[in-house]
Formats: sequence, structure tokens, C-alpha cells
Amino acid sequence: MVVIAAALFEEANRTRAFTVAIMRGLAARGVASALPDLPGTNESLVPTERARLGGWRAAFAASVGGRRAVGFALRGGALLDGEADLIARCHFSPVPGAALVRDLKRTRLVGAREGGEPLAPDALLPPGPPVELAGNHLARELLAELETAEPSPANRVLRLDGDARPCDRSFAGRALWRASEPGVDADLADALADDLAGWARQCGG
Amino acid sequence: MIFEGTDQVRDAVRHVLGDVLGIPAERAAGFNDTTPLFGALPELDSMAVAGVLTEIEDRLGITIEDDEVDADMMETFGSLVDFVARKALG
Repeated sequence: MVVIAAALFEEANRTRAFTVAIMRGLAARGVASALPDLPGTNESLVPTERARLGGWRAAFAASVGGRRAVGFALRGGALLDGEADLIARCHFSPVPGAALVRDLKRTRLVGAREGGEPLAPDALLPPGPPVELAGNHLARELLAELETAEPSPANRVLRLDGDARPCDRSFAGRALWRASEPGVDADLADALADDLAGWARQCGG
Repeated sequence: MIFEGTDQVRDAVRHVLGDVLGIPAERAAGFNDTTPLFGALPELDSMAVAGVLTEIEDRLGITIEDDEVDADMMETFGSLVDFVARKALG
């Protein structure tokens, strides 16, 4: 089976339907998959501001448990799967934590210029109360942890065409995680599901 | 990617706006240098501005500093293209 580490923050919202479309594509090819809600995300009862990187990594590892599974991580999900006991890891458009924090900060900077609250240079550093960034109440400690977090070593890396960073295979499609009206991109979801199903079988997952 | 001229940069910026904001290609094709963006395009809220800038960085291989991000740069399609061209073409 395939256990999926979803994208993080606003990117998770924008790619949720797309991620589910990939899961349906896997199911159509006879491959089971699971998409765990990590602490502070989706239906988790933990307040988002209590989320920490270590907690997410441990929760993802626990969701894999002793299953014979491969991992599939999208974007920031690639920061979370390193501690899980997986047969192999596949990452789609993995991103360093610092780039995610930069995006969150940028949203706030632009908002400040629209008349919102300005962002002081030290406003995100611990210690201090949680900060609101792009609609999420986040712990400063989480942001500090993300600043130095890198994707775990992956057995297979997939990217979009036009992305110059190294990868095993690239796909035509839109960067849905950046889009205001992302939709699903059914062709990309199907192509990824096809690649992933074949690879998961090869790995024995 | 190597950008040889402003026209290429203009096309790249047009594609980013289309892809990130979900603007149909025929509408994006009609953007000219005086087309107002920030405050005029309903699709372009502060979250979307961050997406547009990051996507431009990735596609054109440039880095936009935090203190360069301001409303003037996003005022019109022409001002955004000028800003990106200065960065990409040196």
C-alpha cells in the first residue's frame, strides 16, 4: 500500500482534491492508499498552534506502523516521512522547509502593504505567542524548525516539466499548490497514479 | 532557462498569471503594459501575490527579496514585467 504525506498549510488545501484524485487512480489500479490527518491538520482535535515538526514526523511514522508500505509525499510532506518504516519513498515536487516559511511570510508582507498588520523582522522568532500566517495559527517553534528542515532522502523524485532541479521523471501539469483556483488537473493525477502504482509494485509495497 | 529579451519575460509572466490565478489564456493574452493588476484583478489577493512571485522565481531562476515586494511593482502588467526583466536580464 501507499501511505501519503500531504502538502502543508495552504498548499494542503489547494492540493487536497488532487491528492484524493491520485488515491482514486491508485485504487483503480488495485493499489491501496491512506492519507493520515497529522496533529493540527484537517480533522485532528489538536489545535494547529500546537503542531511541531517532531510531532508530525512521529505521527506519520505511527500511521505507517508495521504495514508493508511505500511512502508518497507531496511538497512539504517530504519533510515528514523520514522516521517512518517505509520500504521506499517517492516525493512529488519536494520543497525545503525554508521555502515554505518564506511563502507564508510573503503572504503576510503583501497583506501588510494592503493595510494589514506589518510584520516586524523578529515577529516570527521564538519565544512568543503563536503567529497567524496565511490563515493558520502557527507556533514560532514550528516555523523555526521548518527553516532548517530538508526533504528526507527519497528513492524516487518526480517534478513538473520546467522545474530545473534533479528528478527521476517529470510530468506536464500546473503547480496546483500555487493556484488560487487550483482545480484538480485530472491528467496529471492519472499520470502520477500510474507511475506510482507501477513503482509501488516494483518495490513490493 | 536563459531569457534573451523582454518579450520572453513578458510571455513568461503572462503564463504565470494565467496558471496561478486560473485566468483563461485568451484573457491573459489581452493584458498590455497598462492593464492594472493589484487591486484590480479580483483573483489577485495577498495569498495569490505570494504564489505569483514564487512561481516567477522558480520559472525564471531569479530571487525576489522581501523588501522588493511592494504594491507599485504589481500595479500594472507592465510594471511587473519591468521588474522581472530587470532581475532576469540583469
